[in-house]
Amino acid sequence: MRLTPAVAGLTVGFGAALLQAFFGVLPPPAYGICIACHMRDLVNWVLAHIYPIYGLVKGSPKIPGAPVSHYMPVLTIVGILIGATVAARAHGEFRWKVMRVGWQRPWTEFFWGVGVMICALIMGGCPVRTALKTAYLDLTALIGLVMIFVGVAVGCQVLKKIS
Amino acid sequence: MKALPAIATLCLGFMLGYLGQRARLCFIGGMRDWVLVRDTHLIKGLFSFIIAAFVGFLIFYFISPAIKTFPWFLNGGVVFAKKWAAMGMKESPSFMLPVPGDPITWSPNPGAHLLLAVIGGLGVGFFSVLAGGCPFRQHVMAAEGSRSAIAYILGFAVGAVIFHKVIAPLVKAILL
Repeated sequence: MRLTPAVAGLTVGFGAALLQAFFGVLPPPAYGICIACHMRDLVNWVLAHIYPIYGLVKGSPKIPGAPVSHYMPVLTIVGILIGATVAARAHGEFRWKVMRVGWQRPWTEFFWGVGVMICALIMGGCPVRTALKTAYLDLTALIGLVMIFVGVAVGCQVLKKIS
Repeated sequence: MKALPAIATLCLGFMLGYLGQRARLCFIGGMRDWVLVRDTHLIKGLFSFIIAAFVGFLIFYFISPAIKTFPWFLNGGVVFAKKWAAMGMKESPSFMLPVPGDPITWSPNPGAHLLLAVIGGLGVGFFSVLAGGCPFRQHVMAAEGSRSAIAYILGFAVGAVIFHKVIAPLVKAILL
C-alpha cells in the first residue's frame, strides 16, 4: 500500500487521542501532538535546568510551559527528528542542501522560525495542535484554523507578487 | 510513572516523523496547494487527522476518565470553574473559552482569547507560507538535510525564549 498523507493523518490523529486517554499526556487537554508547544516545553525545561534563574515565575521555581512537562519534558521533537532521519536514510533521500529561493535562504528562514513560533504560542498551538483542538470541539481553535487558512491565502498572494 | 508521558510522546513522535517523511504530510502545504492550484492531495491529511482524532476522542470518552472534558464547549467549563474557585473569581464560564495554552489561559473574557486566536492564526499562516511549510514539515526537512530548515528550527527555539521573556508579559499587561 502506498503511504498517502491521508493514511498518515489518520494514524497520527488516532494516536494523539490514544496518548491523552491512556498515557497521561494531560493537563492541558488535547496535548498529544504539538510542535510549537512541545518545542517550548523542551527548550524551557533544558534552560531552567541549566540556569535555574530562568524558570523563576513569581518567585517559585516553575517551568514556563505545560504542567505535564514539569517533571520530564515531552519529547515529540526528538522523536520526529529521529524518525524522519531513519526514514530519509533508509530510502536514500538524505543529502545536505540549501533552498535556492531568495526568501528561504538559511538566515531569512531563521526569522520566519522566530515569527511562526511567537504567533503559534500567542494562538496556543501550532497548526497540528489547532487541528487537534478543533477535533476536541474547541470553538476558538476552529476560528484559529480558519484564520490560518486566511493567512495562507494572503501569503499566497504575496508569493505570487514577489516570485 | 512520571516519565510515561515523555516516553509515549517520544514513540508517537518517531511514528509521526517516519510517516510524515514517507507521505510528505504538511498541513500548511495542503492549504497552499488548494489555494494556488486546487490540489487536494495534501489537504486530505489535515481532514483525516481531524476526523481520526475526533473518532478517537469519541471512543475513549466512554472508556478513559482522562477524556471526561471531551466536547470542550460543553464540558470544558468545569475546569475553568474549579480553577477560578481556587483563584477566588466568581465568573461563570463561557462556551467559547479555549483549551488552556495561550498566554492569558485563565482569563474569563472570551473576546480576548478570540483576538489572540485571530492574530496568531493570521501570523502562523502568513509566515509558514513564506517559510515553505508548517513547523512539522520543517522538522522533517531538517532531518532530510536541508540547512534552511535547520536554521528555521534554531529560530523556533529562540522564538520560544523571546515569547516567554517579552511577548507573554506584554500580552498579559495589555489584555488583563
